[in-house]
Amino acid sequence: MDLSGRFGVRSGGGLLFREETALESLHLGGGDEFRQMVPPENGGGFTALLELPPTQAVELLHSSSSSSSQATSLHTLGVLAFPSNSVLMERAARFSVIATENQQTGNVSGETPTTTSSVPSNEHIKTEPAETETSDQAAVEKQNNRCGKRKDFDKKAKGSSKKNKSSEENEKLPYVHVRARRGQATDSHSLAERARREKINARMKLLQELVPGCDKIQGTALVLDEIINHVQSLQRQVEMLSMRLASVNPRIDFNLDTILSSENGSLMDGNFNGAAMQLAWPHQVMETEQSYHHRQLQQPPPQQWPFDGLNQPVWGREEDQDHGNDHNSLMVGSASLHPNQVKMEL
Amino acid sequence: MAFAENHINTDVPEKDVFALHFLQTLSNLSTQNPFSSPDKKSDRVKKIKKAAYVSMARAAGCTDRLWSRALLQRAAKRNNKIVRFPRRRKRVTWLRRRSNRRDPVEEAAAERLRNLVPGGGEMKTSKLMEETAHYIKCLSMQVKVMQCLVDGLSPK
Repeated sequence: MDLSGRFGVRSGGGLLFREETALESLHLGGGDEFRQMVPPENGGGFTALLELPPTQAVELLHSSSSSSSQATSLHTLGVLAFPSNSVLMERAARFSVIATENQQTGNVSGETPTTTSSVPSNEHIKTEPAETETSDQAAVEKQNNRCGKRKDFDKKAKGSSKKNKSSEENEKLPYVHVRARRGQATDSHSLAERARREKINARMKLLQELVPGCDKIQGTALVLDEIINHVQSLQRQVEMLSMRLASVNPRIDFNLDTILSSENGSLMDGNFNGAAMQLAWPHQVMETEQSYHHRQLQQPPPQQWPFDGLNQPVWGREEDQDHGNDHNSLMVGSASLHPNQVKMEL
Repeated sequence: MAFAENHINTDVPEKDVFALHFLQTLSNLSTQNPFSSPDKKSDRVKKIKKAAYVSMARAAGCTDRLWSRALLQRAAKRNNKIVRFPRRRKRVTWLRRRSNRRDPVEEAAAERLRNLVPGGGEMKTSKLMEETAHYIKCLSMQVKVMQCLVDGLSPK
């Protein structure tokens, strides 16, 4: 089967997390023939590619290397001296995809020399150095390694940890393809460690954005301290509020109707903006409760509840107090009506 | 890495979900003890606090998150018996010999975080951070809900 001319095409962005998308990226420019010829019925293009005998894969590479302009990266790879190992053949096929990925960043030139050195030297991890720290790197990082060809038990043991990583980052691929930067050690252990550290740093960034005032702090230790303080303060706040709740309501006698009616302000705070607010009138309580139950997880449209002119001035007054917190203003607005309700129920 | 954001999902539901769960739990609380209202304030406080955490765990997605599962497990266990799971250290593997893997400073902080976040004893550090992010979001949401409830109920 002649796959020439179609193998070299791809453009599609930083996908490549799955084999199907890998395949699609392969033939994005090439049209549907490729897709038809190598249908990803067994879960992806790479497995289909694996089924190719090695010679065909090489032919693929070489033929594609002479094709379109976009195959310059492939060309550089085609020049590589691939040993006749079938394992490496398939890997080379994958490399081409990786290279096509790199086409996006345009950082391909650095691949060739180090790839040659690394391919024979490191069977276990595909290291494609000289990659920038863009998202593309991470994208390529998630290239999958054919787990079937793993010979090193060391790698396998680590592969399981990598499986966890990739399973959370990449649902289909069992292994994480780590890309080593240029000039860094390509030792498998350090690579894994680097990947792990990058993961942790990514999550640390996430946490930094979450916790106010953390982005200015330098150093992971201080950031972590800040995060811990934040969590502790939140937990203490919960405790304080529960104490206040306990004192406010002496009998834990929360009548769901009244609470819901008072809570409707908070519950609909997304829609609120001065729209109709739920009034804590008893005749409306049942309706709102039922309607609320029907729409538990959706945003309830407030328009169907009648708007009482009485509420408007109250709310308007309260809104001035706290613009930053819509929610509180709403609650305060309704609170004036609510205590009456509560007293009635209690 | 901007890429990392794409796959770490730390969405929490809207405030009303939290509010609903909290109120339901509170009403359950009141129905549980219809006749014997605890006179001691500390009991009440503890109950409310427990209700807050349990409802938060439910609202955030019971089984989606490790911390919520651990929290609910802990709460359920407390009713029946007092059981503390020994902390399993998944990290104690053969990888230990690579001493440079674990940054000691970060590990100390991670240890403290494990004490704070429910269910944190068994997670690897990266997973712990993910859980912490989600936990922080849920906690702040819960705090907002409770604050509004208190404001609404407190006499003017």
